[in-house]
Amino acid sequence: MTTTTDLPAGRARTRTATSKQPKRQREGAAWVFLSPWVLGAAVLTLLPMAVSLYLSFTDYDLFSAPHWVGLRNYTQMFTEDPRYWRSVGTTLTYVVIAVPLQLGLALVVALALKNMKRGKGFYRSAFYAPSLLGASMSVALVWRAIFNDGGTVDHLLGTGGWVNRPGWALLAVALLTVWQFGAPMVIFLAGLQQIPGELYEAAQVDGASRWRQFLSITVPMLSPVIFFNLVLQTIQAFQVFTPAFAVSAGKGGPADSTLFYTLYLYDRGFVASHMGYASAMAWVLLLVIGAVTAVLFRTSRSWVFYASEGDR
Amino acid sequence: MPGNRTMKSRTAAVVLAFCATLAAGCSDSGGSSGTGGKVVLRYTWWGNPDRAARTEQAVSLFEKKHPGIQVQTSFAGYDAYKQKLATQAAGGDAPDVMQLDYRMIDQYASGGVLLDLGRRAALRTDDIDAGLLATGVVDGKQYAVPQGRGTETVVYDAKQWKAAGVTPPAKGWTWDEWADAMRALAKKSGKPGATDPGQSEDAFEVWLRGQGKALYTKDRGLGFTADDLARWWTFTDGLRREGAVSPAEQTTQLDGSVENTPLGRGKAVSDFNWDAPSSGYLALVPEGLTLAPMPSGADGTPGQYFKPSMFMGAAADTGHPDQAAQLIDFMLNDPEAAAVLGATRGIPVNESIRRDLTPDLKDFDKTVADFQSSLEGSLNAPPQAPPSGDNALQTTFQRDYDQVSFERMSPREAARNYVTEAKAELRS
Repeated sequence: MTTTTDLPAGRARTRTATSKQPKRQREGAAWVFLSPWVLGAAVLTLLPMAVSLYLSFTDYDLFSAPHWVGLRNYTQMFTEDPRYWRSVGTTLTYVVIAVPLQLGLALVVALALKNMKRGKGFYRSAFYAPSLLGASMSVALVWRAIFNDGGTVDHLLGTGGWVNRPGWALLAVALLTVWQFGAPMVIFLAGLQQIPGELYEAAQVDGASRWRQFLSITVPMLSPVIFFNLVLQTIQAFQVFTPAFAVSAGKGGPADSTLFYTLYLYDRGFVASHMGYASAMAWVLLLVIGAVTAVLFRTSRSWVFYASEGDR
Repeated sequence: MPGNRTMKSRTAAVVLAFCATLAAGCSDSGGSSGTGGKVVLRYTWWGNPDRAARTEQAVSLFEKKHPGIQVQTSFAGYDAYKQKLATQAAGGDAPDVMQLDYRMIDQYASGGVLLDLGRRAALRTDDIDAGLLATGVVDGKQYAVPQGRGTETVVYDAKQWKAAGVTPPAKGWTWDEWADAMRALAKKSGKPGATDPGQSEDAFEVWLRGQGKALYTKDRGLGFTADDLARWWTFTDGLRREGAVSPAEQTTQLDGSVENTPLGRGKAVSDFNWDAPSSGYLALVPEGLTLAPMPSGADGTPGQYFKPSMFMGAAADTGHPDQAAQLIDFMLNDPEAAAVLGATRGIPVNESIRRDLTPDLKDFDKTVADFQSSLEGSLNAPPQAPPSGDNALQTTFQRDYDQVSFERMSPREAARNYVTEAKAELRS
């Protein structure tokens, strides 16, 4: 934050040598220009977060005043609530299934598009469209209809409905996410185009196979982009809500098989009116996502390769 | 970043809810502001498309008679409505006029969401049966006014039932006779006799009352034991295993709308439902739709009862309490409105309207009226309004039964689970 505010100010000093305004006045101007962002951050992000942190230590039914209970919400969550752990299990299963599938598909399609001479723009848009549409409620509802009994999948595969069977419902939700591989695909595509063609030419001269080229050139050169996509999609997967809500009609069913963490949080907060408990769940989720991201960053040192590092 | 948006909006929702309760609304009162000099009222309710058409008609009559008022209506299926209303109420954004269920009144009244209608001169309640009117009273204040009278029913496709050659349901039949009929229907028609009633807290209540018990005690505790519930779930689960009632994949899709019931989808012959909303099946089961009394206990004790089918209430922070009261009055007491609405929300509670209306009722409205009069005098008194925790428990009931019907838990385990959850919910 400090770097972004200092930078323009520093530049202003060197460029406009005539500037004789005192430092405080210039700072004042900076604050004026920053104020919309600062206000937004304070009112829409920091204040709600502080309130939710406070609520997480209370018993709050949305209607009467919050009642301080200390750590009870947290202890109840970890020791007395089997559904809480079920929601954790569901979410982790989902992250482990959906994220690799989605990134894998995105990479494969990006590789296919990379060397395409004609129609690249069309396919790029066509594959990207689901990412724009997919987050919407209506697409999730269509998804539910497709995977319901009597739906398209039932007709084509004869497997019956997926969304009304506990063993299959989670997979139906995961497929909805995988289908929205467009955003990471576009980023992969951009990354692929940054890899210098000489590397491949040199490798071909040395007689390296396509697979060898992929493993030794594409993957290391693309690793910062893979890392970026991995972090982004993992964080998103932990917070998935809309598809699960729509596909299970807001209940996380059948038999709690799509009870995602966020869905259970919603259920506690807005259906059962235990807003304190829901707030506590939100904070645990925040900490877990923070921890997972930290772990990803730590492991990245051993496999992410930045071209600029070689110059140093 | 899209990932952050959910988080932010969630926290924003929390803070909105928070400041709304503390400061009685950061935003304007309930979003009802005038456009073009007109007072705008928001009126929400749950129901089926049939009820929607008649409500719209009644509302435009109201607007014609009150040119200064414009009414914005919206409706949804019961489950979706329940969730949306809870969210709106928590955010201090409850609609000016809203339809309420017996199970919502306690929670919303004690939470300060509802307006005391007793002090509104525009709303006349003289013609409403005193006992029925009292069901909308919490802590001595009239927070809601009953709109209709309903009772549970076995709604069935008489054509298919007859074609299967099974004895049709009759007054005073027992749960055992019902189960035998389901088995026979399944055997002869090739599809389940009914929706699996194991998921329905309402059906369980009727079964329980048939044994002289109740869902809740007078002091708002649980009125039954895990053993009682285990027996009910063993009973329904057994019928499901035999194929006499709908399979788990069908049952789990129930969401309070008739369209998603096995009977509505053409995959069963009958269903348990409340009498008035059963009109929704007409569009799906065009011929032979008939109502029969609920099964009674082994000694003939009736479990079903007359219940205020739904209520109307107004938001405590509405900007237009008088106009809201006018709208409620119109829906309850205006003869022209009554003629349009018929029995779509149950048989009207206004005695003189009921007298005038009953002979003129047509089609399914007449079916409902005849059904109710056939039960008159033979039912036990209704239970007191359920405690606030019950609102969430209905969903819990359905969910715990899912664990049974998908064979992930035994009826006994699931029943024990439910009782533990229910006790915790009722305490908090």
